[in-house]
Amino acid sequence: MPDSDPASGAATASALPGRGSPEEAVFIGLGELPSGRYPDRPFMGQLVHAAVAAVRDAGLTVPDIDTILLIPCLHSFADQADLIFSRLVEELGLHGRAKSSFMLHSGGSTSDNTIRSAAGLIASGHARNVLVVQSEKWGSAPVGEMIDMLTANGIPREWEKLSGLTFNAVGALITCRYMAASGSTAADMASVCVALREWSRLNPNAMYRDRTLTVEEILNSKMVTDPLHALECPMLADGAVAFVMTSAGNARRAGRDAWVRIAGSGGCVSHYSIGQEADLAVLGWEKAGVDAYEQAGWGPQEADLAEVYDSYAAVLTSGLEGLGLAPKHEAARMFASGEFSPGGRLPVNTNGGLLSAGHTGVGGGSALLAEGVRQLLGRADPSRQVAGATRAVCGGTGGTYMDSQVLLLEGVAR
Amino acid sequence: MTDTGMETLTEPYYEALKRGELVVQHCKACNRNIMYPRHLCPFCYETDLSWVLSSGRGVLHSYAVQRLGPPSGFEDDLPYAVGVVKLDDGVQLLGRLWPDPDGEWSGYSCDGRVEFHGADAVEIGRRPVPWFRRAG
Ligand SMILES: [Zn+2]
Repeated sequence: MPDSDPASGAATASALPGRGSPEEAVFIGLGELPSGRYPDRPFMGQLVHAAVAAVRDAGLTVPDIDTILLIPCLHSFADQADLIFSRLVEELGLHGRAKSSFMLHSGGSTSDNTIRSAAGLIASGHARNVLVVQSEKWGSAPVGEMIDMLTANGIPREWEKLSGLTFNAVGALITCRYMAASGSTAADMASVCVALREWSRLNPNAMYRDRTLTVEEILNSKMVTDPLHALECPMLADGAVAFVMTSAGNARRAGRDAWVRIAGSGGCVSHYSIGQEADLAVLGWEKAGVDAYEQAGWGPQEADLAEVYDSYAAVLTSGLEGLGLAPKHEAARMFASGEFSPGGRLPVNTNGGLLSAGHTGVGGGSALLAEGVRQLLGRADPSRQVAGATRAVCGGTGGTYMDSQVLLLEGVAR
Repeated sequence: MTDTGMETLTEPYYEALKRGELVVQHCKACNRNIMYPRHLCPFCYETDLSWVLSSGRGVLHSYAVQRLGPPSGFEDDLPYAVGVVKLDDGVQLLGRLWPDPDGEWSGYSCDGRVEFHGADAVEIGRRPVPWFRRAG
């Protein structure tokens, strides 16, 4: 097995097996629908449109896809059952041809786990061209029903649910601890949301692409769950994202001129119950990052951008710190001083993140990952494209931030 | 609410709360306290498990005050607070926090001392959860 390819970066002792080899899995295509409230876009319609867009973007045709990995929706168990039982295969006319279609699920970190799974199937020869696709209708679903669904699932029903714990309270518990540990002020935390809004205004697919946001507006909005104000809570959105992955060898043979490889990955499942997390201001990011950087052979100081889960500001600040992209306890203040905004030192969540591009359920992490791939392919809108970007740190987390998952991506130009 | 068979774990815990006590699970094989209650010891994987009375005292790791958007059934509780408590017994858990006399929680702080102080029988009968208050 070749252990390095001079074109793909420096060889190190800790290089991923297969690095630069024709077998390694790469991203070659993307599809995305705008996020927001689109009551007239049906679930399955979103799914097929995103899927076909990604296949065309990859320079393939739909029958070239042999394996479909599905990222689940949360708005409806009936629609989720359609995913499980291969409805998409029939909708895409792949019945009788597709080798395999199945759903993976770990909440907001599903995209990371699904991409890893796809990469493994490709590298081991079990799959050739993989479609990874996600669709969500959270923006059009009744908010009250979604609150009840979220409090009935992913929270221990015997030990915590009867306390009245909500997902906003989970975010508030993390925020309260982060603020106490770091000495960050309410204005510092609000500035994270402001920076994300600056980014989303540059993203035509974002839910909030027109309205500006200020720290003052946030701090004057209603307190939902102390210390979170209404404008610090994510808005549920409809959306869909699709990726096409294949081997580097296939990408080369198909004449692609650029693709994105997975340089390293790491993860840490730090709890199931929020009441069992050892440190709510840290979560599993540090361990996840150490493993990922070791595998990649490069470190946080060499990253050109970061796309890290941000359903609440403190989830993002703990992620940036744990992944070495900000000194411990400093991330919120660095947002306040503009270091992660457009034009700042390190571009972070360049699509606007879940907080301003829209929280598409399990798809929030998928949209961030798609933005990382898009940036490394050099295909973001010029207003937000990071010039010369070749290395991206992508982080996802699911449920009550039970797991911290990291994918380190590298753009490869032939 | 709970799976059939889960009563073995939930009932001793809920019954203690109804008596105004907080108990935690204990592994007799490795002599460690366990929370939340498990089917087997997550440290040594033995099944010789019992219950011990908690000191009820600990530090508040973090807390949140719910003011809007509660789950169904909690509308009349608003505002209410939940907190993660690290007990001196070496285990941690989520519970409800009593408001201060002014009806608010501004006197609470991360790493402040708290103590178990159960709710009345009607409330615990309805929702068997531990309640904590500030301690000196
Ligand atoms: Zn034991």
